Amino acid sequence: MTIAFKPDETFRGDYTYRNSDAAVLRFPFPFPEDRYMYSVNIEPHVRSGPSDVFLRPFDVDEHYIAECRDKAITLERDPGRCQVLPHMMLAQWDTLELLMESLSADYPALFSLVKEGDDFGSRWTWTNRPLGIEQRFIFGDPATLPCEPFEYITRQAQGDFAICDQRDNNLYMDAGMVTSQADWSLEFDVGMSFMEWHGPVPLAHQTGVFERALKYLLMLRLGQPVRRLNWTMTINPRLDTSPESFPEWGPDRASVTPDNAGRKVHLRVELQTLWRLPRSNAILFPIRCYLASLEDLARVPKWGARLHRVLSTLPPELVEYKGLTRYLPAALEWLARHDDGRELPVGTESGITTL
Amino acid sequence: MMHSDIKSRPVYQALAPDLAGSRHLLVVEGETLVAGRLDELAGLFAPVQATLHTWLAGAATPVAGLGRLWQLESAADVVDALACASRGYGVGDRLYVQGTEPFLWSVATAAAVVGFGEKQLRLHHAGSLRRRVWCTHCHGMTEGVTTSIVACGGCGRHLLVRDHFSRRLGAFMGVMVDAEAPGEVPAIEEVFA
Amino acid sequence: MIGETLRLKVAAVADIAPGLRHVRLVAADGGKLPPAAAGAHVQLVLAGATRTHRNAYSLVSRPGARDAWEIIVRRVPTSRGGSAYVHESLQAGDVLEAGWPGNLFAPVRTARRQLMIAGGIGITPFLSYLAEFAFSGVEHALHVCCRESERHAFDPWLADRPHVAWHWDADGHRLDIPALLAAQPMGTHLYVCGPAAMNDEVLAAAAAAGWPDTHVHCEHFGSALSGGEAFRAFLARSGIEVDVAEDESLLDAIERVGVKAPCLCRGGACGVCVTPLLEGEAEHRDHVLSAEERAAGRLIMPCVSRARAGRLVLDL
Ligand code: HEM
Ligand code: FES
Repeated sequence: MTIAFKPDETFRGDYTYRNSDAAVLRFPFPFPEDRYMYSVNIEPHVRSGPSDVFLRPFDVDEHYIAECRDKAITLERDPGRCQVLPHMMLAQWDTLELLMESLSADYPALFSLVKEGDDFGSRWTWTNRPLGIEQRFIFGDPATLPCEPFEYITRQAQGDFAICDQRDNNLYMDAGMVTSQADWSLEFDVGMSFMEWHGPVPLAHQTGVFERALKYLLMLRLGQPVRRLNWTMTINPRLDTSPESFPEWGPDRASVTPDNAGRKVHLRVELQTLWRLPRSNAILFPIRCYLASLEDLARVPKWGARLHRVLSTLPPELVEYKGLTRYLPAALEWLARHDDGRELPVGTESGITTL
Repeated sequence: MMHSDIKSRPVYQALAPDLAGSRHLLVVEGETLVAGRLDELAGLFAPVQATLHTWLAGAATPVAGLGRLWQLESAADVVDALACASRGYGVGDRLYVQGTEPFLWSVATAAAVVGFGEKQLRLHHAGSLRRRVWCTHCHGMTEGVTTSIVACGGCGRHLLVRDHFSRRLGAFMGVMVDAEAPGEVPAIEEVFA
Repeated sequence: MIGETLRLKVAAVADIAPGLRHVRLVAADGGKLPPAAAGAHVQLVLAGATRTHRNAYSLVSRPGARDAWEIIVRRVPTSRGGSAYVHESLQAGDVLEAGWPGNLFAPVRTARRQLMIAGGIGITPFLSYLAEFAFSGVEHALHVCCRESERHAFDPWLADRPHVAWHWDADGHRLDIPALLAAQPMGTHLYVCGPAAMNDEVLAAAAAAGWPDTHVHCEHFGSALSGGEAFRAFLARSGIEVDVAEDESLLDAIERVGVKAPCLCRGGACGVCVTPLLEGEAEHRDHVLSAEERAAGRLIMPCVSRARAGRLVLDL
């Protein structure tokens, strides 16, 4: 498998980000049915599923190089997007090991890891060909890396990462690398417990979704990661939709019209996985973000029609929470042209093999 | 516009001594004392008087029955005194605080630094509802906020004061209210008097 | 790092004291083992002559070790059979099935100071704790209460480990638990692992000294594992009657007749095996069900709990 990277595309300014046909077809479309509501939608993270993004535990795609560059720009402007509380050092090494081992095993043409031993104190050599990095370091010794191990490895990975420490029968968000979030602040949330950081989410607390999810996660087993999909909408293919930069991207929401909605409005899907970490007993929470414009999605007839139905029946609390209020009517008007009302099969598969 | 059932909002408790504790420290913000409250506290804490210290912050007329009594000027003095390791806190110690929300969380975060766990701490909210607001954009703090929307003391943006609360910062989240349509600021209401 | 079961080969067995056997395990395919944390355990499937035992043992190897795992097994007179099997039958070269490591007794990394109290073989989880604390540099102390004759059995794991104190049942050598617990600074976390009576004594002393329960951690391992009277269970959905022997758990018996039941810790701690109880009175030995749930009598944890009298009917 070779990936044709698009190293120069941008996620800000002139927004040159585009999906290839293959990227559209492998998009992790999140709606199996015509209606959507929060649920404990957690399943084993096996190497298969309705989209190719599930084939490997950590998916790398054509946007890899450009996303890592966008992350570096965000970190340069706001170093606080990476935060690690002092007791999380073991979990930092766990994360580095998991990512380096998985990426080098699944993408040997892109990444390699050579170890002289497995224990702390061993010499390791990491090669990242797409980013042109070769790093020798001592596993367990932060001084041998250019920055702390969690920041080091997550700068070289697509998506956001949080690490939750487990204690007192609860999870605490005690570390994070968060540069492509759907409008939440790591600086504000770091150190919070599971229910606290989920505080603003409407309806799900009342239906017991978070209580059951937490109980399940506390029992998460080493070697048996799980996953779920979460979604929202973003205007323009912008990764950094943080509350910090809301004054920059907020006005875009007022720029949507029924004519430009197809190009401007993007479905933003997060493939969230949960991993028990081996040495620290913490839980790693990678949040891998996929963006597709309404135009992209409507090229798959089932997806265009289904998105129209999901958005037109979305509970008002979710519309407000996800920040869709101002432009939803324009997006619906655009999508209505792609919904002929016929019955759609249950499931998220595109149902087609070419566009 | 107000998000009201956000679960990160702390729930405060009435004060009563935890009889399982071995030593007890009561910290009271003077301005939140209504007539008779200190006598009431002295009554409540009578069972642990022998192992009780009380710190009164700001103007307050002391009463008897509060163990060893100290008077401090401000929240900042309480924070300094807590950090002073000479007291040698033990694992059986308990801390009780009465005050406005900004006061409670100034003390609680200082206590966490010394090592107090959640179960060793009881917080009782009294007095004004005024809030400390953290600006999501410039990360500055604006103190003493009593309105639904406030101009950030750091960057000047109009912030909607949400109920989402960070214990680490001891502050509520403020988010630019007119980011989507600059200049469209809703009516400002006095809500946290 | 994904997987559910492992095949392990016994690389070596050695008796380190009367009734204490050390076992070294490697990956049967010659590859690497998954790393494990301080306090982790591994569940071994021990295929005995008459029946299969599934026992969980603390890993005493260094946290993160991937070349070999080590366990230490005490021969328990009232054993369900697993410890007897390890002592009598297990040999170098044997291949065993095992689960990936689990962890129900991880140290709290926000602690300012780590205080450990072990009773006898209860030292095993702390051998991996000590290795981690030496690495992280956190202040710590381990107090071991054991027979005087067993003092040196664990020396190979304690080389270069200061902060370990030994106590045994003789004047001048007993551990004064209340005095120890009263003198601890703010931010200390306490871990205890030993026989049930010792655990209870330490927990009571901690409560009396004002320790918040969030700072006190007990490995219940072993205490709930022994058998009891034989009894019968009927699995209503499968339509199968099961005889549960004196030395086996209800869960073992259910698995023996080929019915799949969810489980994880097999020690009454995790709650995964919870099963609706349709009829009969249970003797609850788990650490999961609340007093109200026990009183209601509608649920049972078959990994440890048994029948108080007569027959149980389960929704399985
Ligand atoms: C343990 C790792 C997890 C972390 C670090 C995490 C973090 C977050 C954060 C920061 C938010 C945004 C809250 C805000 O508005 O400020 C969020 C939203 C949410 N989370 Fe989680 N979460 C985790 C696990 C889960 C799980 C297992 C579920 C399963 C039900 C879940 C369900 C949700 C839902 C439904 C939302 C609302 C999303 C939306 O509508 O856009 N989370 N999560
Ligand atoms: S298997 Fe864990 S409680 Fe029964």
